[in-house]
Amino acid sequence: MPRAIVLHRGDNVATLIDSGQSGETCTLQGESAGEVVLLQAVPFGHKVCVRATPAGGDVLKYGQVIGRAARALAVGEHAHVHNVESARGRGDLAEGRP
Amino acid sequence: MTRTFLGYPRANGAVGVRNHVAVISVMDNCNPVTRAICQAVDMTLPVTTLFVRGQYGHDLEVAFNTLAGMGRNPNIAAVLLVGLEEQTTEEVARRIRPAGKPVESINLQPHGTINAVAEGTRRALRLALAASAARRAPCPVSSLLVGVECGGSDTTSGLTCNPTIGAMADRLVGDGGSVIISETSEFLGAEHLFAARAADQAVGKAFVEAVTRLEREAVSRGMDIRGTNPTQDNIRGGLTTIEEKALGAMAKAGTTPLRSVLAYGEAPAGKGLHFMDAPAPAVENLTAMAAAGCQLIFFGTGVGNPIGNMVAPTVKVCGNVNTLRTMADNIDFDASAILEKGSKAGSVGERLYDFAIEVASGTRTTSELLDVRETAISRFAPTI
Repeated sequence: MPRAIVLHRGDNVATLIDSGQSGETCTLQGESAGEVVLLQAVPFGHKVCVRATPAGGDVLKYGQVIGRAARALAVGEHAHVHNVESARGRGDLAEGRP
Repeated sequence: MTRTFLGYPRANGAVGVRNHVAVISVMDNCNPVTRAICQAVDMTLPVTTLFVRGQYGHDLEVAFNTLAGMGRNPNIAAVLLVGLEEQTTEEVARRIRPAGKPVESINLQPHGTINAVAEGTRRALRLALAASAARRAPCPVSSLLVGVECGGSDTTSGLTCNPTIGAMADRLVGDGGSVIISETSEFLGAEHLFAARAADQAVGKAFVEAVTRLEREAVSRGMDIRGTNPTQDNIRGGLTTIEEKALGAMAKAGTTPLRSVLAYGEAPAGKGLHFMDAPAPAVENLTAMAAAGCQLIFFGTGVGNPIGNMVAPTVKVCGNVNTLRTMADNIDFDASAILEKGSKAGSVGERLYDFAIEVASGTRTTSELLDVRETAISRFAPTI
């Protein structure tokens, strides 16, 4: 069973330290316990959503904001560049940043 | 009891962990002669560079100061400068002389390549013969200035190698030594946490200003830094945003107070932890650290980046079980016990500190033995 580490109680993503297949159950370790069923394959070192997050919502790891959800994230979903985006150094966005 | 390592005490009170003659190119057109001399004489290290010719103002000052800084580094017993002409060579030589070590030079004008190689080889030989008389002696770890770097990062970096390096950094600072962390862009998203560790308000302000200046520049260019930082291999390794990368990268600075903010290649004035405002890519960042006087560099890697510095031996630390298998030839220290055996970063960092003392005393690194080393000085303005 693939393992995933939750680094802070408030985090909504966990980092896989094994690779996981779609439909596989993943064991949570670290600051949280329990299991999450993977909705897609998640490669080694990639993140899985462990708490449903609305579009635009903060994505939290280490108890810190690492970006925002580009669309709603479901529990078990692979959370990466296709659905989480950075809020920093974004010259491509409208003025006013940072 | 003060912890010691076996180092080379230098005339100016600094301590080397290696004992080399640096053969330093004053500009790019000198590199072939620099390499030829180093092939001919043992104990020499080629410090090559690109550009310098055509640089001016602050950009040229950085180039001269960085070349000279590598010459002043305590790992270097003596310096042979390879220049094109006398005046520019003297600009670098006069910046090295205060370190109190032999500085000689050979210029391509008017010797030509063959005679410059012959005469340069003869001078390098004499410098190496004299340097070989130096002996290692017990020296306090407080004389160590260590750079902490990460490259080829992935999500294991923030969980394994970087916290391990951070624990080692805490131990070294606790024993009176010094540490430099750098890579300004890799604080985007973590700067509030690091600024809170500043020893005083002025240092905290200078640090935040460095990060803000960098972000403002990225934004003013109207570009999206995603894909450049995090890089494509970072993303393949699971890092999604620069914020996530920064929070993991910061772990290698440990937990001690931030004492000062340094410019590119600038040597710290005091002990403890310092931040250097310099570009993140490994080769140019390691070059700046060596120029600042770092005798050793600890380099955390996830998906793998093999490069080391020419002057400062670079210890590769990795906690990714896949990379430890695929790039075993390039890794010096295995930190995978954190994820695979539940070891604490503090205890793995304690082992890394022991290893640091061994490397400082002469144990070689993979990047030294394989000669996987490179030099690059950052550019801050176009050449004319």
